[in-house]
Amino acid sequence: MSGYLAGIIAILSINVIFAYGIFLAVASGQLNLGGAGFQAVGAYAAGWLSANLGLPVALTLLAGAVVAGLVGVALAFPILRTRGVYLVLATFAFAEVVAGLILNTDALGGAMGMSVPGYVEWQVPMIGAVVVALLVFYLMTTRFGLTMRAIHDDEDVSDLMGVSIRNVKVAAFGVGAALAGLSGAFYAHNFGYIEAQGFNAMVSIYVLLYVLLGGTQTAWGPLVGAAFFTLLPEILREVLPAAKEVVVTLFGGVPDGSRPDESWRFVILGVLAVAFMAIRPEGLITRTMVERLSFRRRTAPGMKEATE
Amino acid sequence: MSGPILKLENLSKAFGAVQVIDDVSFEVPRGARMALIGPNGAGKTTIFNLMSGTYAPDRGRVIFDGRDITDLPSRKRIGLGLARSFQNIRLMPHLSVVENVMLGQQSRAGSLGAMLSPLGARSRWRRQAEALLADMNIDTYPGEVVATLPYGIRKKIEVVRALAAQPKLLMLDEPAAGLNPSETAALRDFLVQISEGGTTILIVEHDMGLVRSLCDRAVVLNFGRLIYDGSTRDVQKDPQVLEAYLGSRHAGEGVHA
Amino acid sequence: MMLFLQQLVNALMLGSVYVTVAVAFTLTIGILNFLNFTIPTLFMLAGMVGWALSYWGLPFGLSGPLHWALALAIGIAAAIAVSLIVERFTFRYLKTKYGDSTEHAIPLVSSLGFLLIVENLVRIAYGTEARRFPGPDANMTLDVGGILVRIPQLVSLLITVLIVFALVQMMKRSRIGRGLRAIAENPDAANILGIDTKRIVPVVFMLTGLLCGLAGALFAVNYGEVAPMMGEDIGSKAIAGMVIGGLGSIWGAVLGGLCVGLLEMMTVHFFGADTVQIVVWGALLVVLILYPKGILGHHSIGKGKL
Repeated sequence: MSGYLAGIIAILSINVIFAYGIFLAVASGQLNLGGAGFQAVGAYAAGWLSANLGLPVALTLLAGAVVAGLVGVALAFPILRTRGVYLVLATFAFAEVVAGLILNTDALGGAMGMSVPGYVEWQVPMIGAVVVALLVFYLMTTRFGLTMRAIHDDEDVSDLMGVSIRNVKVAAFGVGAALAGLSGAFYAHNFGYIEAQGFNAMVSIYVLLYVLLGGTQTAWGPLVGAAFFTLLPEILREVLPAAKEVVVTLFGGVPDGSRPDESWRFVILGVLAVAFMAIRPEGLITRTMVERLSFRRRTAPGMKEATE
Repeated sequence: MSGPILKLENLSKAFGAVQVIDDVSFEVPRGARMALIGPNGAGKTTIFNLMSGTYAPDRGRVIFDGRDITDLPSRKRIGLGLARSFQNIRLMPHLSVVENVMLGQQSRAGSLGAMLSPLGARSRWRRQAEALLADMNIDTYPGEVVATLPYGIRKKIEVVRALAAQPKLLMLDEPAAGLNPSETAALRDFLVQISEGGTTILIVEHDMGLVRSLCDRAVVLNFGRLIYDGSTRDVQKDPQVLEAYLGSRHAGEGVHA
Repeated sequence: MMLFLQQLVNALMLGSVYVTVAVAFTLTIGILNFLNFTIPTLFMLAGMVGWALSYWGLPFGLSGPLHWALALAIGIAAAIAVSLIVERFTFRYLKTKYGDSTEHAIPLVSSLGFLLIVENLVRIAYGTEARRFPGPDANMTLDVGGILVRIPQLVSLLITVLIVFALVQMMKRSRIGRGLRAIAENPDAANILGIDTKRIVPVVFMLTGLLCGLAGALFAVNYGEVAPMMGEDIGSKAIAGMVIGGLGSIWGAVLGGLCVGLLEMMTVHFFGADTVQIVVWGALLVVLILYPKGILGHHSIGKGKL
């Protein structure tokens, strides 16, 4: 397999795992805008253990997930009291604090970054992504998944139905944080080098958008969202240079003929985010759509004439 | 077991300066079909919210099945057998019919094992929920997402969701609101069926026809005070009740319906 | 003592930049319960457009380089225009059907989309590096009893104070202000009372664009430098200021912005510049968890869903 394709599969797998981590929080009604923070915790935990204690990769991957998960649970309890804007801000602030702490910790390389031994090939993150996807699909079929979705829809009624809001939210947020951490650990071992700047606020925003645009009603959403936006730049390699010249001229600049950078990908992500929120805020993949595609849906007699 | 299933003792609740519930006491006998009526703003829904734990009373006690539940968290009350429906339908819009009903089973399925086992086609929880839907003659496709269903059916599903908890007391907040006469008649039969299964029913309702044909007893609230507690047959002869209704804008519509 | 006073004055000057942006944040949250992530971008846009016009002139060769003041005025206008476009897509077409938790986040997510669009378009058009802004000499100083005050900074501070006062007066006395306050209390009731929310909501976005654009322009003049990244740092500190002051309170944002300026100065003094990020965001996190009302915040705002 060519290195190019191997690189794409590795980053795709890492993004899918990351997206599932954020999905678990969002599906239970918690907008987690601190994804990069949890990914950084996982990446640095795995990297540090690997570089300093020489632990085998299997253990450092696990450790990355566990440490990020514990941090997630520790954060989930106090922020349970916050909702809406406050929750978004709290998770966002958490990620900034993590990045700041890493930058100021010499043992983690500070601003210099950190080399991570124990290289893993693309197959390993890919297997990881498949396992994580199966896990999340399974979780969504359980009563735990049902209560998560119920809390997303109506927290007060879920409580009256006997759902322990606290337990479900903390568990969903914590497992999600662990998955984000796992994606960071895979990243560390696949790229072999990590730096705090690689886990900035934009990363948190991108992954949340992958999840929301893919759709949060089913486990298919994050998979489709992450895959689409990871593969998009590959699709657009040919189209973009021309578009770039138009925009540069429009803004009063002089086209220099250089190849467009990845900024373009994010312009498109932004446009899609705005368009989806205006037209189809539930995201691309909805439950109804999955039911239709899976041919399980029967039409109920007498249902057609009676709508509100 | 004997004694009333529910006993409210001197309940009071104020929101700011407004005394919404003022020293209300009544009992709901075991197995009864009882109505809680009164003009709009009399405090009926507030009584429900105090019973289900959404609000804490300022004074007074709520005794359910012989146990003081005044300070019990709202989440734990359904497990004791106190389930309710809501005035405005509050089904989970993105859950299917059967999933909404399975949510109603939560108080019986909160253990870690139950939380982590799948709710697939062969799960006993799903089969129970589907059986309950069939028993209650809700012949819509159970996999349908409820947001797309007609009003009357959603109203019924909400009652079934509460029933899935296998409650001892079922509290219904205006179940007939927005239903046409034939739907209301169907709802009445449905509730009689539930009642015959041994569930006590406490119902808030404006439709006096439904109240009289369904319930044997009624309590009437006006401005947060209890003004009547007796049989549904005599309720319209009571001078205080007449005054409460005739003095309000519901004079013509409710009592003589 | 003298050093301390000088630091205090510096903190005040620094804080006044944060104050304007924090007021913009608090205005949209207080009135629309909407965390508008385009705010740092609007701030940056005014500065970058101002730079481009004073360096290149109007697009398509319509003019040579413009005077810096005119360029900045057009930059502010650009920020207002973009803010109004944001309004179209976040509020004009917004319909909530179920009231669930992600549905309430639709405007927020939309604003994240706009943040990506504008910021990356600016990078594509103007490049990523910082640019020197040809404003007046930022180092003209005034000596007040041994304490040095930069004149452009002083002017900025005065403008900031003026704007905040004007805004508070507008909210208190004008028809529009009363309408905005009614929407903040209860949007449905405001509608019933005959307040035309469709016409009055854009006012919030116009004010947002104006405040951010102005802050961006003052920043460009004061620091003599603009960069596509300049919004992120200011944005984060303005958010911190808003939260510390209390969401939805204009005076809270003023107080919070100044607090953050002071906090930053003290952190730099005692621990060095590298730790500012930890201290500012850490303070924000602690306030959010322990005292979410902030210093002057409303109890009701932000308590419900997004």
